[in-house]
Parts: sequence; structure tokens; C-alpha cells
Amino acid sequence: MGVTILQQFPIENRTGPATIELLTKRISALGAVQQGHFLVDCETYSSVANLGPPRTVHVLHNSEQPASCFSILDTGTKTIPLAADGLFDLLMLKMNYFYQAKKQTKAESKGPRFEIGDFCVKLGTVTVSQNFKGILVEVEYRPCVVPGMCWELIREFMQGVLGSSVQSNPPPYLATRMQENYTPIDTIHQYLEHFTMFRKSPGMRT
Amino acid sequence: MAYSVNISVEAPIENQIQEITYDGQEIYQSPLTVSESLAKYAQKIDFSKTADIVEPKKEPGDIPDDKSDTDSKDSIQSSLWPWDTVRNKLHSALQEVCVLADVLAIAKEKRYMVLDPVPQEPVETKSIVQIYARKKALAGAASVLLTGVERLKTSQNEVVRNKTDFHFELLRLRQNWRLKKASNSIIGDLSYRTAGSKFTQTGMFEVTKAEDDDKTNSPPNSPSASGSTPKNSSALRVTVPSELQGVAYIEVLCQKDQEDLCSANINLLGSGPPTSNPDVHWQQKLEAAQNVLFCKELFNQLAKEAVQLQAPIPHMVVGNQIMATVLPGIQLIIGLCHSTTGDKKPPVPAPSKSDHDHVLEHSLHQLLREVHHKNTHHPFPHPSTGPLGPSKKRYLAGPMAADRYELLEMTKSETLLEQIIKQAQHFFMRMRTEYVLDTIAKEVKDPLITSHWNTLNSPTQSCVKINISTHGYDAVFRTPLVIHVGEKSLKCICRVGKVMHMSYEPQELRDLIFCHINQHQILAVQALAKTMGWQFLANSSHLGLGSVEPLGNASSCMLASPNGDRLIAVRCEPQAGVQVSVAHSPRSDFFPSRLVTERKWEHLGGQFRDVRLEKMEGRNFLHKMELLMASLTSNS
Repeated sequence: MGVTILQQFPIENRTGPATIELLTKRISALGAVQQGHFLVDCETYSSVANLGPPRTVHVLHNSEQPASCFSILDTGTKTIPLAADGLFDLLMLKMNYFYQAKKQTKAESKGPRFEIGDFCVKLGTVTVSQNFKGILVEVEYRPCVVPGMCWELIREFMQGVLGSSVQSNPPPYLATRMQENYTPIDTIHQYLEHFTMFRKSPGMRT
Repeated sequence: MAYSVNISVEAPIENQIQEITYDGQEIYQSPLTVSESLAKYAQKIDFSKTADIVEPKKEPGDIPDDKSDTDSKDSIQSSLWPWDTVRNKLHSALQEVCVLADVLAIAKEKRYMVLDPVPQEPVETKSIVQIYARKKALAGAASVLLTGVERLKTSQNEVVRNKTDFHFELLRLRQNWRLKKASNSIIGDLSYRTAGSKFTQTGMFEVTKAEDDDKTNSPPNSPSASGSTPKNSSALRVTVPSELQGVAYIEVLCQKDQEDLCSANINLLGSGPPTSNPDVHWQQKLEAAQNVLFCKELFNQLAKEAVQLQAPIPHMVVGNQIMATVLPGIQLIIGLCHSTTGDKKPPVPAPSKSDHDHVLEHSLHQLLREVHHKNTHHPFPHPSTGPLGPSKKRYLAGPMAADRYELLEMTKSETLLEQIIKQAQHFFMRMRTEYVLDTIAKEVKDPLITSHWNTLNSPTQSCVKINISTHGYDAVFRTPLVIHVGEKSLKCICRVGKVMHMSYEPQELRDLIFCHINQHQILAVQALAKTMGWQFLANSSHLGLGSVEPLGNASSCMLASPNGDRLIAVRCEPQAGVQVSVAHSPRSDFFPSRLVTERKWEHLGGQFRDVRLEKMEGRNFLHKMELLMASLTSNS
């Protein structure tokens, strides 16, 4: 477990698979070894009308933490994260009367997973309800858990692989938590932010 | 009789001491005069005694007045005169007698006074109280009788108990073993299933009533034991399945080139000689059967694991034997010995008992029990709807967001065979380390090598602390080492904190210790030189000069005397030992040669000459060096 930075990669005028192939070539050239695939998915539930002010629950799974089920409750004023056992999914089914799944919003990011030294790189193809939306690259630096201490290193690595699309500042979610211990729920937060952006965008984001 | 001796008893001449003055003089009380002593004795007379006897005859009415008068007079006048009380008592007695005489005289006339017997009032007795009293008395008597009955009953019961009673025996059997009734027969279960065992073999036994003809048969069977048969014969008979009959034990042997190194016999019944006599009491019979079951389960488990395990040198399972390679050349053999018929056969070869390793025996026991325990005891708390089985760590994996590596780690578990092999490996590693250290300590006398084994260790890890020091100089310098003995490797933490990893080969440890002895000598000389005021010029722990050493490098150091006119060079080699050379500066002898022509070059230090250390005085190397330095210093 280390610090993870999520980065969107512009596809310009390529197709999704072509972009993945391009990145795969680049990272393989650096000596990375593919270690299977990964999948992060997100389902959103919204509260029914008679439950008071509207609330949203995002349920996410990350294949990196296969035994866990993450959820983020968005009450409008604050967000409450929760890491739970896999049985949480079944609980959500039971709560069908209060929280109903939004139609056509299932978002997921999946693709190959590479390991290169202390880094773990995941090239994800994002789809929202089966429609291709873009490319998300996840870079994890495993030996460190404090983002502030390894951001520079990760940025350098990312700039080497992804080029100029990488910002020199940390993502806004992490910028406020640079000196805190990084936890898996922070990864989930980043994914949710990107998924929300992808959902809002009408077609393919460039 | 004939000799009558006059014994005169008289009061001591000394009078009572009244006071002792400060100068030690004693002031005696003056003896009493005749009149005084008479008064003293008269006061001792108790007149009230006689007065009591007289009293009942008097009329109750008039006496108290008189008495109170005289008493009050007494109290006033008693202090005035010593005879006062006597007089008062006599006076009151006279008065009473006078009154009595008067009363008698009046009564005699019968004109004014008649004496009538006064009828005494009968004591009223209430019937209810009487009944209660009787009841109480009867209850007391009854309780005495009842306790007697109770005692008789218990003694009677004991007589019955000593007799063989099927139902009573069954009750006792039921207290210790699981029984159930199936149609007409009683079936018992001696398996470890309730304790968490998952062994498939059933441990069923049948309980039947012993027939009388068995009893009649048994005395001729063993006439010598006829005295004990009435005790043993019970009305109950248990029948265990044939595969659980007999005696079983698990034999653990460690072999090196067909030579037994140690062995252990695992047996639930402890060290007592197992018997397969059919006439033994059901309790022993069931225990023996349970032991057979236990051994079978243990062996079954081990055999299963031996087949499944992927070892570099595959484990062999042949018949009732498992062979596993612990270390190269050393094999662990676990065998199941089960004899069903042989009560005449000599059971265990005696010599192997001497190498009985209780630790190994205990470990195997513990390991299987632990498996049983884990099967029944699930970690708390677990939700009633959740699955049973996963560890507590696995339960927390979800909420703690464990990643795939952690989850993978959780799935790994050690089998019994792996654990016992590890313990055996550690056992050999410990033995080898002990042997190496002991032999080195015996071989090397000059620096002393002491090793302390930690008393607290685990079955697979122990730790030894080694101190290299020189006798008499342990305050000057010492080299501590710590060696962690693992399963297949050794970890040595050296003096400067450097960590060395070694394999199971004892030669590696031996070489390491020799290197450290060598290092100790050269460092100790330097420390000694410091205390002697000698200067320390140069030091090299890995000298490139000289012949090549088979192990390690030679080390050397150069020392100069306080005023710099003498030099000592020490060279230490792990194999060849220590060489010491001495040089003078300025050189004591100067011969001009073609190269060195002038005398001014003599300050360049002379040639080194070897010191023959073995000819020197001194207990050990450091002592010799101290003497050498001392002699070279004093010369200048």
C-alpha cells in the first residue's frame, strides 16, 4: 500500500484501445512487467423522496482490495466514506426501498496493470454504462504512505511516461492532505471525482 | 521409719522490707505486737457465715431494720477501733438471739400468736408448654435416630457398590464417555470429533452386559492373578472395533546415514507399558482405543501432508512410514506402529528410550491438538450470519481495506509436517551450533570463548551470546557476538553491528568464530597499548601482504613506545597464529654499507626481528605483549 495518483490521459484523436496500446508500449520500454488486470467500478444510489433531503451513495470496488467494498455517502454538505466487507453489496440490495440505483450510471475503469520497480501503473479504460469515455492512468508508489514526501518523485515518473499532460501540482483532492497518511479510501475518492466528471461530460472527453 | 527427724518450721527472721533507700539501706517493717496480730486474725473471722444459718429462723419483717442500723454504724466506726467489727457482729448476734427468745416465748403462750404452716402455692403448669417441650425432646431423639439410619444406609450402599452392578457401571461410563442408545444396544463414541477432529474414521464402541460364564472362565485362565480378578471383573463389557484394538504409537526417528540420532515415541498413555490384555477394565480399554485413534489420525494427517507438499526433495510415504529430509544427509522418519495381537511381543526397543526427545514428542501432540482446537474455536466476535472458518484477520480485511498481497499472505498456512520438520531442523541447527562452539572453546585456549544460551526460546528459534575475552584482560577488551539460530540458517550479529547470514553448514560458523578470534587478538593488543601508553601507528584488518590465507585475511598493527625509539609489529593470521616483531630506532648497530654510508640514516628504524612468543613468559598472548611492552619501555 502506498500513495496513488490518478491522472487523466488525453486521447486526442486516437481510439481508446490505440491509446492503451501506445501507453503500454511506452511503459514496457521502461521495463515494466504486466501483472494481470485491474477493475474499479462505481455504482450510484440516490435516496427516495420521502427520506428527507436528497442524498447519494456511491458504492465502489477496487480489485486491488478484493475483500472490501467502499462507499461514499454524499449528503450535499459533507461526504462520509466507509470501507466495509464485501457483504455491503447485499446490504445495499436490502435497502432498495430507501436508496435506488440510478439508471445508466455504472462507471468502471479497467485495463492492464504493470509493475515497474516500486511503482505500480494501471492503464484504465473508462466506460460509463458501456460507453467509452476516456483513459485514466493510476500510478502508485508503494514504499511511501505520505503523499507530501513522494509527490515529486511520482510527478517526475508520470511526466516521463505520460508527457506534458501531467500537472506540476498535486491533484486538488490530495493537495489538502499532503502530510497525512494515505489510505485506500483516498484512491476511491480520486476515482469518484474522475467518474463524476466523466459522467457529466456529454461524449468523449479530450 | 526408725529415723524420725525433727523438722522445725519457723518464720524467717527477716521482716518484710518496707522501703529501700537510695543508698541501698533497707528499712524493715517492725514486727506486729501480740495484740496487733490478734486483731489481725480476729478480722479474718467471717461472721456472716454463721449469720446466714441463723437468718431463716427470724421473722423477715424486723431484721432488715436492725441490720441496716448496725451496718451503718459499722461503716462509720470501723476505722476507729480494730475490734469494732467484731463487737458489732457479736452485738447483732445477741440481739437476734434475744428477739428469737422473745418470739418463742410469745408463741409458746399461744394467746397472742399461733404458728401455722404456710401452704405453698402450687406451680401452674400450662399444657401447651408441656406439649412443646415434649415435642422438642422427641425431635431431638428422632434426629439422632435419623442420622443413624443415614449412616447405615450409606454403608449398605457401599456394600452394594462394591458388588458389580451393570447399571451403576453404565452410569460411571456415561460420566466420562459419550453414549447413546440405538434400538437394543448401547453405542458409544470415543472419537475426537467433539474436540474438533475431522478424522473420518469412527470411534464407535458397543457396550454390553457381561455374561456370567465369562467370569467363571477367567479364573482358570490366569490362576496366578485370581486374587485380582474379582476386582477387575465388571458387569460391563465394551467392544471396540478391531482396527482400534491393540497398542499404537508413533515413532519419530532422526537418521543420519542410517545412524539414529534421536527418537521419540508418541503415546497418549504416557510412559506406562501398554497392554492389550482382553481382561482389562473398560476404562483402560477405551483409553487404549482412543490412543490408537489419535495416533492414526496424526499419522493420517502427516501422510496426507507429506504427499501434498512440494518439497525440493520429495517426502516419501511407504507403508506406515513417512520419510522427510530435514537437512542434507539427515532424515526425519515418522512411523506408525500398531500391534493388534502382540501382547507377548516385546514392545519397544529399549535403547531408543535413552534418546527420547520429550520436546519433539510434546510438539507433535501440541500441533494436532491445536488443529483440533482451531476447528472448534472460532475467533470472536463473529456475526451469526457470517461464514465460520476465516481468521479474525480475514474478517477485518474488508473494513481495513487489505490489498491483494495481504490477502494472499492470509491464505498461507503451515501444515503439521512442515512445522515438525522446521522444529527438527532447528533442533539440528542448535545441536550443530552447540557442538561447534564447544569444540572451539576446547581447542582455543588463549582468548576464552564463553557462550550463553538464552533460556527463553521458541521451537524454531533460539539465541546464543558469545563473548571472546582474554583471561585477566576482560576489562581491557572483549568481543561480543550474538548468533540467532533459525531453522536452516544462522544469523550472526557482530561486534560493530554487522549482520552475517550463514547456512546450515557448521564450517561457516567455525570460520566466522576463528576470524573473530583473530580480530579480537589484534584489537585487544591495540587496546592494551593504549593503557600502556604506547602509540598506535598503523592498523590494517585486511593485510594484502604475506602468504594467502585459506580463510579471511591476515591483520596487523604497528605500535611505538612512548618515546618512539621502539617499534612492535603484530601480524595475526587466522591459521598461522600471531607473529610479533620488534625494531629499534635509532638502530643499535650501524654498519656503513654501499647504500647507507652515513651515520645520520641510523634514525630510520632498524630491521624488525621476530619475537619467539612461545619462549616468552606469560599466561597468554596479551600477558606476553604486556610484558614485552613493559620491558621495551623500561629499557629506554
